[in-house]
Amino acid sequence: MAVTLVATGGLREYTGGLQELEVAAGPTVKEMLGTLGIRPELVAAVMRNRELVSKDYRPEDGETVVLVAVLGGG
Amino acid sequence: MRLYADSAKCSGCRACLLACSLHLFGENNPKKAALAIVPHFPAPGTFEVKVCTQCGRCAEVCPVDAIHQNEKGAYYIEPDECTLCMACVEECPEGVVFTRPDVGYAWQCDLCGNCVEVCGPGVLWIAEREA
Amino acid sequence: MYGYAGRVLRVDLTRGIITREPTPEAVVRDYLGARGMGAYLLWTEVPKRTDPLGPGNKLFLSTGPLSGTLFPGAGKMDFTTKSPLTGGYAGASMGGMLAAELKYAGYDAVILEGISPRPVYLYIDDERVELRPADAYWGQGSLTLEKRLKDELGEDFQIATIGPAGEKLVKYACISHDFGRQAGRGGVGTVMGAKKLKAIAVRGSGGIPIADTAEFVRLAREAYRACKEAEGLEAWTRYGTMMVTSWCNENAALPTRNFQSGTFEQGASIYASVHRKTIVVTDKACFGCPSPCGKYSHSKKHNIYVEGPEYETNGMLGSDLGLGDIEDIAKANQLCDELGLDSISTGGTIAWAMECYEKGILNREQSGGLDLRFGNAEAVFDLIDRVAHRDGWLGNLLAEGVKRAASAVGQDSEKWAVHVKGMEQSAYDTHSATSMLLAYMTADVGAHHNRAWAITYDLAVGRDRVTPEKAAKVIELQHIRPLMDTLGCCRLQWVELGMPLSCYAPALQALTGVQRSWEDLLHISERIWNLTRMVWVREVEGFGRAWDSPATRFVREPAVGGVTDGKLTPPLAAQQMLDYYYEQRGWDANGIPTSETLQRLGLSDLVGDRSAWR
Repeated sequence: MAVTLVATGGLREYTGGLQELEVAAGPTVKEMLGTLGIRPELVAAVMRNRELVSKDYRPEDGETVVLVAVLGGG
Repeated sequence: MRLYADSAKCSGCRACLLACSLHLFGENNPKKAALAIVPHFPAPGTFEVKVCTQCGRCAEVCPVDAIHQNEKGAYYIEPDECTLCMACVEECPEGVVFTRPDVGYAWQCDLCGNCVEVCGPGVLWIAEREA
Repeated sequence: MYGYAGRVLRVDLTRGIITREPTPEAVVRDYLGARGMGAYLLWTEVPKRTDPLGPGNKLFLSTGPLSGTLFPGAGKMDFTTKSPLTGGYAGASMGGMLAAELKYAGYDAVILEGISPRPVYLYIDDERVELRPADAYWGQGSLTLEKRLKDELGEDFQIATIGPAGEKLVKYACISHDFGRQAGRGGVGTVMGAKKLKAIAVRGSGGIPIADTAEFVRLAREAYRACKEAEGLEAWTRYGTMMVTSWCNENAALPTRNFQSGTFEQGASIYASVHRKTIVVTDKACFGCPSPCGKYSHSKKHNIYVEGPEYETNGMLGSDLGLGDIEDIAKANQLCDELGLDSISTGGTIAWAMECYEKGILNREQSGGLDLRFGNAEAVFDLIDRVAHRDGWLGNLLAEGVKRAASAVGQDSEKWAVHVKGMEQSAYDTHSATSMLLAYMTADVGAHHNRAWAITYDLAVGRDRVTPEKAAKVIELQHIRPLMDTLGCCRLQWVELGMPLSCYAPALQALTGVQRSWEDLLHISERIWNLTRMVWVREVEGFGRAWDSPATRFVREPAVGGVTDGKLTPPLAAQQMLDYYYEQRGWDANGIPTSETLQRLGLSDLVGDRSAWR
């Protein structure tokens, strides 16, 4: 079992162009970003089940986590 | 078939009204649409969407039988036959039969679906009428 | 003229005379509308060095060609005036429903001139335009009055109001509309109050003529489809601008206790997820917008309804004041909305006062008995009310804005007055973010972020780096973002949803029938940018480089805590950024557009001999 990471926008540069990829459950989102070489400041927000979670969240087996790329502001 | 609306999702943007008027009249004028957005502010802070349910009561009360059904089953008022007696406008339980001084007939939704297309939050959809 | 209503309303408030003029085609050709038209009218109609609160100043309401048409986010208009807060150009963009309704009533713009002898409101119902007595409304809050006018005139009227703050000439009074939208910054509400204009009520039954309707509708449907399919739509709709709070806090950009830090230890309690879970009721949109960012909320703790807080308010009335309870921030937000205060300037000014209090420079007698330590929500609520009414010594002082307040109090307090050109900085801490710092230094209204939101670029390429590329990025954003304000639509469909920039020029062409490329549009935007710069040159004695100085805090005092702990931007680095910026802009070393630049942009005739304005 694994965690599905969804990379949006410019973050797909770090996932070989893939929108979705599977990683082993266990680490926090921040640690997963580290493994992928994605600097956390490029990730605006993390969504799980349509809810915002922090980068310290530890995804569980079978979960899908969306990495929202930094775009703009207000 | 009929148009459905989940008012809880409505953001009040009125894009639906514009898509509608552009379809019915070729005009960018939300006051010439065939659905309505009713705001409730400052409290409770929600929007209500009024759409034609295709109930057919307008056709029942029209004294000159000017209201027919199109190929989608949507009721429509034949412009040449309408006498602007306002019976359908008053009868409509949703208040979505419309008239204006500068239009020679009453009008209503023809189920074109353009409003569905421009609705960001997905408030609107077209489906079979429930019995 | 396709895309336009075709007429401008001129309202002489002194004599109570209303006239209609054709929308000037040459101005539309060269400035398009909205922000562009406002800048042009400010330059041509308001005499040099006019008193902003006197009868010679004017308040210009201007819509854009896209305003009120079927296009994502097509609900924007600009309010332009000479700013009583800064003494320079003020242009405040406002969403909601008013821009569309004005065009349907048949007016592209409204020019408000003179001063009414008695409080009035402007009533517009298609052809019927009247100045009606507003004595009975004077003193009322904005939200309360909007409800009352809708009850009296009809729900289908669109209403804009000033609150007590505008009446009392608080220097950063705003104009409020649609239960939660504002023309916020620079004192546009102050000018409206000085003119004794309490409200504007508009209803319009007409349409907007389109040159090529079939093509415009085709392009519009594509644009809406692009928005609906955008990856970011769901998150943006759920959380709106608040979404950026956590990112800012993690990256030391969230202003904390008067920008002493960019990291708030209570930050997690005011993140977007907490906001949504605790108080949000409805995702509320501006006209034509598929991505409703408005988070209409109900706080049970304080029994109030408010659209917000937005990120800016969350920062400036929240973390910047040390408030970590989302419901308290919502309450402070609602007070500003009801009383008619720009929430950003209000927060920035109160934060300064709190720091003075904690440093012992303001005492409890001067604070009118308020315990003004950071984090005291009740004191914040009281003080907002006092500022709005100019009540008491401190209320009256803070009503002048942080620059004047610090100058009056002295004792080094200018060092922590966080402003540029007299406008309080908005909610991005710039101890270590040189593009964003430059953006604040050079924004044409003062320290406002909306001209160039460059902080993500800083984080992407290295926040401390000082490069010509960073200046180029700021300039690029200063052309694109205000162009949206000129077209009359929102920029957030592009910014947040990635709606392609290539959507805009073809849609504008189908609407207006006038062929303009994206580059043509950017050229117009650059023209407007240089015109608003020349407004400053004309209006402010000795205007130049010194006025582009960053707020002292970021170049003199290191940030405390978080990932920028101990960091600041050296003053020379800030000046180097400015050097790169001036060079690329075609401005001289003092920041004045050169004759060549003015000529290239077709401004020579309008501006005349630039040295005449020095």
